[in-house]
Amino acid sequence: MEDRLRLCHLYPDLLNLYGDRGNVLALKRRAQWRGIELEIEQVSMGEKFDEDRYDLVFLGGGQDAEQNIIRTDFVSGKGDAVKRAVEKNKVFLCICGGYQMMGTFYEEHDGTRIDCLGAISVHTIGKENRFIGDTVYSCPFLSGSKILYGFENHSGRTYLGSGVKPLAQVISGAGNNGEDGFEGAIYRNVYCTYSHGSFLPKNPRMTDHLLQCAGKLKWGEEFSLADLSDEMEEFARSSLLTCKNA
Amino acid sequence: MSKLRIGFAILSARIVSRGLRLCRRGATTLPGRVAIRICPQIISALSQEKDIIAITGTNGKTTTTHMTTAILRARGYEVITNVSGANLATGIATTLVAGIQREKKARKANKKAVYVLETDEAAFAKVCGALRPKVCVVTNLFRDQLDRYGELVHTQNFIAKGLDSCDAKILLNADDSLVASLSNQRETRSVFFGMHTESMYCNSVTNAGNSGVGETTTDASYCSFCQTKYEYHAKTFGHLGDFFCPKCGYKRPDLDFSISYKLPDSPGEKGISDEGFSITLLHGEEEALVALPIPGLHNFYNTMAAVAACTFFGAQMQEDALNFADCAKAVCEVRPAFGRMEKIEVGNKYICLLLVKNPVGLERALSFVSSASDTGAMFLLLNSNDADGKDVSWIWDVDFETKTYPEEIFVSGERYGDMFLRLIYADIDKARLHPKPMRDCAMQIDEALEVCAEGKCLYILPNYTAMLALREILVKRYRLKDFWK
Repeated sequence: MEDRLRLCHLYPDLLNLYGDRGNVLALKRRAQWRGIELEIEQVSMGEKFDEDRYDLVFLGGGQDAEQNIIRTDFVSGKGDAVKRAVEKNKVFLCICGGYQMMGTFYEEHDGTRIDCLGAISVHTIGKENRFIGDTVYSCPFLSGSKILYGFENHSGRTYLGSGVKPLAQVISGAGNNGEDGFEGAIYRNVYCTYSHGSFLPKNPRMTDHLLQCAGKLKWGEEFSLADLSDEMEEFARSSLLTCKNA
Repeated sequence: MSKLRIGFAILSARIVSRGLRLCRRGATTLPGRVAIRICPQIISALSQEKDIIAITGTNGKTTTTHMTTAILRARGYEVITNVSGANLATGIATTLVAGIQREKKARKANKKAVYVLETDEAAFAKVCGALRPKVCVVTNLFRDQLDRYGELVHTQNFIAKGLDSCDAKILLNADDSLVASLSNQRETRSVFFGMHTESMYCNSVTNAGNSGVGETTTDASYCSFCQTKYEYHAKTFGHLGDFFCPKCGYKRPDLDFSISYKLPDSPGEKGISDEGFSITLLHGEEEALVALPIPGLHNFYNTMAAVAACTFFGAQMQEDALNFADCAKAVCEVRPAFGRMEKIEVGNKYICLLLVKNPVGLERALSFVSSASDTGAMFLLLNSNDADGKDVSWIWDVDFETKTYPEEIFVSGERYGDMFLRLIYADIDKARLHPKPMRDCAMQIDEALEVCAEGKCLYILPNYTAMLALREILVKRYRLKDFWK
């Protein structure tokens, strides 16, 4: 068995808001600490995305100006290959702007509709006021602690369509739209969330879940991640609870 | 606006200021707040006929303001400046009110008064029109606390708006594409400072470090005009460098003021962080060798910006005392500003404070600690109050992976758990890490000094409110001067 997984970091030079690269680092370390090498390749503007080459794909969030630069490249250039990757059950983690762009469309608050990739059936409506702050969610399918910690900062309200399940239930914070009590989305092996930056480092069980999915896809259903302590992460999580802002 | 109202606003601000000082508290913003409440046009009223230099940008404005002030003072001017952090309209109004008395004194002493005002990027849009500065300096634009300031392009727009509301001459960092492009449509009043391309080559080697997760997060990778990815002849750090757009041809502007330096031996930052390192500043045909007043590669830029600001201002005002050679000479004598490489002697060891507020600031500080030859221990403090930004995820934008650290690393602040985890994920052995909550901060300083070898320095890297809390401890223990005094 080849002890190696390969991750594609899409548009790292443009979609890199709020410490997004911490998620890539978390996947790399929790794989590495188990003796699995996670090879990271960066694919950006004008470069080919080969869906068969990767086990995992990371798509972060960007500033508006940056997201406008990539839209055509993502939707028309890499779009078909990304959709094929989704249907081949490749493991995706998409954050905020990346989450919105995987959906069908984004409607700005003045009513202008921007077409997105449509790889998953979700859409987003932009509003004036932003949801900003620390968040806590409950994510029942995780093994061990089912509590997720995050930080959200978004003005878009996202609604899930058919075949798409929410990632988690909101305990505190706004989540997808501030209305239905759900956060994020799951479709096949595509995991989406509004939680920025240090989402995976703070949530090692989610990191492990994504690695587990990628491992099964590559090495078969019998694949199981070796045990690994999350004592350090738990220490940081418990310090969050004592912090007055959290 | 009525003279009576202005007078009343000034009087009220003075009373508030005196009251605060009697209570032994810093009076850096409240007097101005009161004055603005009474007379909203107070800034405009008080800045008429004044000689003002306004300094803005995301990083280095405090140090640049501080250096500019020091040069002007050394050259015989009475300088009125705002204290660090009081850089919003309220702090500026406070400074202008206090300036009235100072100007009177200056007149008696036959000195000319100049205002050097550090101005917050977002506040710049609003106050610039009222201030009507003679010279505006833009140091750089790096991502800051995004939840407070919003996106970088917005910050750039704030500055553009401020520049358009006055007719000041503009001094821009040419190596920063976001700053340099501010000269667009403002060509006739812009001049540029930056680093000599050949000197940049020295750094390109260290910057190529491999973190294993791909290139470091950078801003402004794509052309401001045609959205094509910039290419670089060479880089200094972050997105600063000799950039050019392969498609539309937009490139780093020609330098009016430039920094040049040579490394004694191997490339990298080693050596240049140490005290006594010299750089050459160039302006036209003139050259000046300058012993770097405050170490660190980012301070090359701050030093150049300050010398250029004074020279440029001098040329506008036809002030012979502010010639390039004498300004460059004066900058060598500058001592660090509040929390910026401030060094305190404790027995036979040292404590040095490096304020870190945003990703590039922390990256610079880590790079400095990693290359300084006197590093004994490191202490990181992370808070997430309003003034810091509530979101701490920016620490993940920083490349911790390519640096070498002292054996013992102490961690505190209200978000010590987040910082601890960042270090764990940088693959640093947990046995080297000592995380403790903020209430144990004083104890942490003792322990860190304990492990620090004789003659070596404990480098403390706090963000803003952690810095204020830390200062209080240090003031008590080591009789450090309060920053507002």
